[in-house]
Amino acid sequence: MGNNKIAGVHINQIKLKDFLLSKSMFLAYFLLALGLWGLFDVFSQRYFFSAINLHDIALNPDSKEVVNGLKEAITGDGGEVKREAPWTLYIVNYMYMIYSGSGIIFLVALAELLNIDIIKKTAAGFMSLGLAMIFGGLFTIAVDLNILHMHWMFLSPHFSAGMWLMLPLYMIYIPFVMFEIYLLITDRYDIAKKLAVPILLLSIVVDIIEYYIQARLFDMNVARHLWTTYPMLTVYFIISSFVASSGLMMLYSMITYKDSLKAELSDLLDFLVGIALYTMVILGAYEATAYLFIDKAWGGVMLFGKFKYYFFAYIITAVGIPFVILFRRTHSIFWITVASIFIICGAYLGRIMFVYGGNAFPMSDTFGTGFQKYAEYEPIKDYIFFSPHYSEVFIVLGSVGVVIVVYKIIESLFSVTKIHNH
Amino acid sequence: MANYAMALNFQNCIDCRACESACKDENGVQLGADKHRLWVGMTEESIFGRPYVNFYPSQCNHCQDAPCVEVCPTGASYFADGGLVMVEQDKCILCKGCMEACPYNARFVDDKVVAVDKCTFCYDTRIARGETTTACQATCPTKVRLFGDLDSEDGELVKLLKERRFFVLKEKENTVPKLLYLVPEDENTAINSIGHDTKIYTWNEFKPLIEKATAKRRPQWETIK
Repeated sequence: MGNNKIAGVHINQIKLKDFLLSKSMFLAYFLLALGLWGLFDVFSQRYFFSAINLHDIALNPDSKEVVNGLKEAITGDGGEVKREAPWTLYIVNYMYMIYSGSGIIFLVALAELLNIDIIKKTAAGFMSLGLAMIFGGLFTIAVDLNILHMHWMFLSPHFSAGMWLMLPLYMIYIPFVMFEIYLLITDRYDIAKKLAVPILLLSIVVDIIEYYIQARLFDMNVARHLWTTYPMLTVYFIISSFVASSGLMMLYSMITYKDSLKAELSDLLDFLVGIALYTMVILGAYEATAYLFIDKAWGGVMLFGKFKYYFFAYIITAVGIPFVILFRRTHSIFWITVASIFIICGAYLGRIMFVYGGNAFPMSDTFGTGFQKYAEYEPIKDYIFFSPHYSEVFIVLGSVGVVIVVYKIIESLFSVTKIHNH
Repeated sequence: MANYAMALNFQNCIDCRACESACKDENGVQLGADKHRLWVGMTEESIFGRPYVNFYPSQCNHCQDAPCVEVCPTGASYFADGGLVMVEQDKCILCKGCMEACPYNARFVDDKVVAVDKCTFCYDTRIARGETTTACQATCPTKVRLFGDLDSEDGELVKLLKERRFFVLKEKENTVPKLLYLVPEDENTAINSIGHDTKIYTWNEFKPLIEKATAKRRPQWETIK
């Protein structure tokens, strides 16, 4: 494998065949295939759904399309999006992928500023993982949106909407992170050294702005009081992302740096375990006190209602069990792996709780006399929970495939996991 | 420029759903139980073993401070002339943010156009063509609805609001909605069908609120597309 050099960065000349037929790419192909299956299903539901109106019946009473549309209207389950819970697993996955990816980038920038040597050596790999996760999250949100109309985000911007602010945010954020990675892997040490501190400071500012915009996105939904009454949502997003990111970084370190770091691996893990412990304590304290401030209707559903088992499962898996394992400051690869898997899964459950929880309390008590039912044959609902459709699950798995592919491309071309000593 | 609103004498509702059918017919709304611009909500309760049912006709409140407009990333949801909240479906990217933001579940995805849809007060199909009533009002056998202009002191709507007390839905969300529900004249019905902490208004109490909200938003009213 030879290499070229552009702007001080060594670019590996890789054989396409070797790249495409590597083991990790086969896993990515499998996940992407599931994602494509989900994509096909979502798009067939969205664009080829048998939807009709009365005008269609009047104009084409004998058409097969009208018959199918009538069948769907009477016996179907009402299309892709549920009126009561328009935001579901897509948003969960987008939040998890993007917030955790950004969390990794944020933590690495902080550690570099604090001159943590072991992170400086491994920063490029971590940042590439974070960047790949952001692409995975963006893939999910792109599927969620009506892609054919996306150009209106550019043609008709609504500058104050949280959703629109994501567009310039990631158009700036992604190249910015790429530039950070460039500085880490270039051999133009003089430029890198000059720019390091201002870029790191700027990176932290951009990260905070990112979490603020994400918080604004949820906080603008005035009727969903779980989100509007959650104290200091930006801080909560940062803390909970740090927990997820620390779990991901631990697992990634053990997979990637086991051989290359050797003795220093335990230093790296020790540092990451420390981050995990501190952030888990803050997250635990946050969750324990936040519900004192959250609207009691939402708090009731989450803590004492139908969501309580999910909620406590989240607390136990994201904080409880990993804290008990890591508190002993173990150096056992096995136990750190177990703890990191618990953190990764628990943090995902936390995102599910947050998104589904925001929809959990029905909007239908409009007259203050109890929840209404909208139709004759519909039961009255005192909470809302829709299991995700299988195609949504496939899209989520597909997004993991996107993460692998993006990471693998960066790693193959730039060897970001090589230990850098500058 | 008018400021359109609707009064609902909801105690008259008999749940015949003629309004829903008329709306679907007039506006070409997608067929389906969950695909409606307006609906009749229902609660079933019993007091001392005596059951009773409340029927709550509802639709988009065309809020003066509509959160759905605030969250829309492309301006597909916008404040339109007449104080209406409208959707330009071509611009809808289906982010579902407006559905999430609406406190009244008034929006849904129309699968025919792959965009969000909601009540327009029949502006495009009737009002802009010179009609003075919406389809739901015109078809209602028990005269639940009265569509009109809040800026017209001599109009039927304001005259009615001057005579009757009324309330709005989820007032605490500060959306300044414009579906004005008339307090039932029968006291028992009123007690059973309105939440105890609902604020009841007279026209003189409500007028300054709506004027303030209108003054804030009127500069944003766009020509209906």
